[in-house]
Amino acid sequence: MAGILVIAERKDLAWELLNIGRQLASQVATTLTAAVTGQEDNAQNHIARGADEVLLMSTLPEGQAFDAWIPVIAAEAKKADPDMILLAATARGKDFAARLAAHLGTGLCSNCIALSRGEDGTVVMERLAYGGAAVQQVSCVTRPVMATIPTRTFAPAPADHSRSGEIRKLSLPSPSPVRIVARKVKERSSQDITEAKVVVCVGRGMEKEEDIHIARQLADLVRGEIGCTRPISEELHWLPDDLCIGLSGVQVKPDLYIGLGVSGQIQHVTGIRGARVICAVNKDENAPIFQAADLGIVGDLYDVTPKLIEELQKATRR
Amino acid sequence: MLNIVACFKWVIDEAYIRKGASGALDFSAVDYKISDYDRNAIEEAARLKGLHGGSVTVLTANAPEASKGVKDALSRGADQAFFAGDPTFNQLESSQTASILGEIIRSRIPYDLIICGEGSSDQYAQQVGPRLAENLGIPCISYVQKLTIGEDGRIVAERRVEEGVEVVEAPLPVLVTVLPEINIPRIPGVKDTLMASKKPVVAIKKEDLPPVGAALLQTLGMTATRMERNCEKFAATPEGIAGFVEALQKRGLIS
Repeated sequence: MAGILVIAERKDLAWELLNIGRQLASQVATTLTAAVTGQEDNAQNHIARGADEVLLMSTLPEGQAFDAWIPVIAAEAKKADPDMILLAATARGKDFAARLAAHLGTGLCSNCIALSRGEDGTVVMERLAYGGAAVQQVSCVTRPVMATIPTRTFAPAPADHSRSGEIRKLSLPSPSPVRIVARKVKERSSQDITEAKVVVCVGRGMEKEEDIHIARQLADLVRGEIGCTRPISEELHWLPDDLCIGLSGVQVKPDLYIGLGVSGQIQHVTGIRGARVICAVNKDENAPIFQAADLGIVGDLYDVTPKLIEELQKATRR
Repeated sequence: MLNIVACFKWVIDEAYIRKGASGALDFSAVDYKISDYDRNAIEEAARLKGLHGGSVTVLTANAPEASKGVKDALSRGADQAFFAGDPTFNQLESSQTASILGEIIRSRIPYDLIICGEGSSDQYAQQVGPRLAENLGIPCISYVQKLTIGEDGRIVAERRVEEGVEVVEAPLPVLVTVLPEINIPRIPGVKDTLMASKKPVVAIKKEDLPPVGAALLQTLGMTATRMERNCEKFAATPEGIAGFVEALQKRGLIS
């Protein structure tokens, strides 16, 4: 058939992929197919948002995980022979995509942040490499071209309920030897730092867990949210991991970012690149964060932060 | 007794990459390291061996210079290494790495458990583990933050997904990719380094392997990311801090 296939484990992810999928499909007048989990009543929604065909992955028996669908989708893809397959760069999506690519013997661009079709029809894809220090442009020499796309790279496709399309229910896969025995839903932090206007970030320069209140005090004053670097959440567990900012954590785009004792490793800096103004307090004047910052104070955060709070209070009172 | 294989990649330490003229990457001052999360993979293999007995084999396909990395890996609790070193194995693409590692494991290394890092520090494509599992036809459990092996020989893994954690169970053999929070990799001591030189390294020549296919992804370009900003630095003095606050005000960030 050729065409573009998007595969998603959730409908919101499907809609983002349908947005870019529709754009690419329209350029070469090809079809767009969505393989999505869910029930038939959802399928019509995917058609409204751009799918010409919906392959429904209905609810799996208890204990089976999304990746049980890999052989079924691989068989579908071999039959339909799409030009391109897109998935979301979630944990499940990335795992699914890499294994599907192995089944199909094709290349996969992981964490693709931009894709466009060149004049000769080659799809050029961009991704970050070396912890975010470099942008790598790749093309896939085999068919289908595959990519995983970070969530929120594209907005959800708009709905047009006048669209029509086909719906097909896929038959259930054979059970996978990997069985889910328990699920733990993580407690979300009360605030979503990806939407925060101001982010105060706790770095490894913070010596004790209880000292985080210093950062919190500053954040409260500037009506900001707290974030942290990887060691603070992953090694020390002082803050939850959904506050970890960086290439493999969350990417933030506040108007103001203030790093307290943040050294500025490339992976972290990649997560704050979208910030309008980046500020840093660090006692090491050679810390890499100062190269990524607009404004910096060279000094011990324990000495500087209280004084900064005082000065900010004075300034806001004026 | 568990036969554990930990795979690793010897990579450029990205902290040493400089931005050269006209946006090119400057690799002139770089150092190399075992890819960050592969250190967690080796540590987890050593930890499980400590609990259950067995053997730990470390494996890499890399440029010949990676022999330094092989020694480093052996100083982290592994018993032996398999090293496919060849100049053409520098900068392999994920599908190529997975096929070479798969071939070596299938033909030369008995295994119950294969551990990979979730992704490499340089490319971070996060594909080698899952592709390797498919090549070998064994179950894959990705993004694991906790690993236990039950008395019945089944593996229990906490897999991190967007909305939380999925605890999954599978029979061995299985491949897992691990997240950095699974453990804190050891820092090898002098004794570990000395012992590492005495451990067996099985060298595999390119000629001993079936021909490696072409890269499925072609790199068209690699440019330095623009992220330098003109940092205005202030001293930690009352005047400095006042100047800093004034600069924030000027940018309309506080009112």
